[in-house]
Amino acid sequence: MTIIEVRDLKKAYFLPGKGKEKFNAVDGISFDILSREIYGILGPNGAGKTTTLEMLEGLKEIDDGTALIDGIDVSIDPYNVKKLIGVQLQSNEYFDKLNLSELLTLFSKLYSTNVDASKLLDQVDLLNKAQSKTQHLSGGQRQRFSIACALVNSPKILFLDEPTTGLDPQAKRNLWRLVKDLNSSGMTIVLTTHNMEEAEYLCDRIAIMDKGRLIAEDTPSALIEKYAPEPSDIPVTGNIEDVFLNLTGHSLRD
Amino acid sequence: MLTEAQIHLALVFLKMFLRDIQSMIFNLFFPMAFITVFIFTGGEPDPIKIGIVDKASNQLSKSFSLLLDEDTNFDVLEGLETELSNKLVEGELVAIIEIPDQFDYAYETAELKLILDASQVRQLDGIKDSIEKTLLSIERELRGTEAMFSLEIVDMKARPQRYIDFLIPGLLAFMLMNLSIAGSGFNLVEYRRRGILKRLFVTPIRPKDFIISIVLARLMIVLIQLSVVLWFALLILDIQLIGGLLSIYGMIALGSLIFLCFGFCFGSIAKTQEAIRPLVTSFTFPQLILSGVFFPISSLPEMIQPVAQFLPLSVIASSLRGIANDGLSLLSFDQNLIGVLVWLILSFFLATRYFVWRDVAG
Repeated sequence: MTIIEVRDLKKAYFLPGKGKEKFNAVDGISFDILSREIYGILGPNGAGKTTTLEMLEGLKEIDDGTALIDGIDVSIDPYNVKKLIGVQLQSNEYFDKLNLSELLTLFSKLYSTNVDASKLLDQVDLLNKAQSKTQHLSGGQRQRFSIACALVNSPKILFLDEPTTGLDPQAKRNLWRLVKDLNSSGMTIVLTTHNMEEAEYLCDRIAIMDKGRLIAEDTPSALIEKYAPEPSDIPVTGNIEDVFLNLTGHSLRD
Repeated sequence: MLTEAQIHLALVFLKMFLRDIQSMIFNLFFPMAFITVFIFTGGEPDPIKIGIVDKASNQLSKSFSLLLDEDTNFDVLEGLETELSNKLVEGELVAIIEIPDQFDYAYETAELKLILDASQVRQLDGIKDSIEKTLLSIERELRGTEAMFSLEIVDMKARPQRYIDFLIPGLLAFMLMNLSIAGSGFNLVEYRRRGILKRLFVTPIRPKDFIISIVLARLMIVLIQLSVVLWFALLILDIQLIGGLLSIYGMIALGSLIFLCFGFCFGSIAKTQEAIRPLVTSFTFPQLILSGVFFPISSLPEMIQPVAQFLPLSVIASSLRGIANDGLSLLSFDQNLIGVLVWLILSFFLATRYFVWRDVAG
């Protein structure tokens, strides 16, 4: 069953320092996300991943096209969409005078619900940090806390924007397990990443974005079959990173 | 009606402020330090230091010096002309009176010479007047004549007013300006820069909810902090409060709303902390000087006065003063109160005009 339906989504920004000149950060993309799947949006920096996500989350206005979340049009009724979804943003700063437990209570009040902060913190392994401030958390703890914040309204769909960027391998694995657990409890998860291993390991389906366009979409294994270079004489098997580089080119991105 | 989310967010803002002990102390430090210094100096004007060069050196001139010295307005130092001139130049004396050789009953009018450094004397007319008055009364005393007239000045309000009575309302207005702008303007920029605003708007709250919460919390903060100063002044310094406390608090709330609106404007225009600082300073600093916080607007150059009296801080300070010193209430529509209402409408219009709703999250 389709839970997110995106058609010809577009967003243009003014080019910095170029007056009225615009460029298309998201250039007419369409895709469907199925209920209960983990859907990964893969792409180099500046590909338009975050902009796409923020349009779906009702944080950025949609210039053109439509996005339906669980049947609700985001541009018409963003507030009802916000009630259905949980969002973990790339930057995860919070009021630094509040502790984790107070922050979770605050967020739940903003959804007009009451949440058991301890239970939620326990779920992300942060129960012993309930009285700490976010600035005293490690990178991995911070990301897990961000996910806890995104769960206060028991969302149907969870959006994660580069959840493991900057984490050490242990913290990364730990977060993957959390994502898998949430998914197996019935949550649809949409994540962006430029970590190939992550996309390959976590995602049921992957969309590859570049320069505001969707250039490929399929299951990881199908993508590898289709795009990874043929194994050479040396016994090396292609992986999703090969697919990625093959499709988006090897030049450096800002 | 307020929603649960708005109230909770307002309480969170309040809680965060109360946890920031440092900023609370610094906000109170300046006004309290100012008042304390004032208490220790007593607030009475210093006597005018005057030198006398007695060239006559007779009975009459000696009595003159004596009588002048007895006047509390003057502090008299006798000496030679050269010695006193040096002191005048160095600023230790305000003026020198030279008593001529022919200072005697025999002469009809003896001309006393008043020497001063005009560049250093701000209220030349005032000094000249008070010296002349003193001379006149000394003359009467020496000649043993009764004055034909005397003028008793009776204050119709019949209340002694001290400088502190003038100062406190102005200080309250100045504090509420700073606290309000910091609450809306600086916080808005900071929350946006750190992505906290965006995180808040992930939830289904609307910009309106956020604004209402900030305004509620800031009103509470302003009332709490100003109460400290107000009650200190009322209980310890025994300042005048003719009008009602309710009117004072009402005016404080109205004034805060004006500056909260301005703060939202500045916070929307300036994108960084570096940008908002000079922007806010260029708004608050001229008002600190021109709005009669520390000295009356009437002491400013006449050209500036018409402008100065319409500044937002001026009308708020004057309204607070009107309530405290003259017993006005929020319902007595005088020029200043109308000024407050005009600024409230204007600042609200500017805030809604410049507040970039979509940008709040971005």
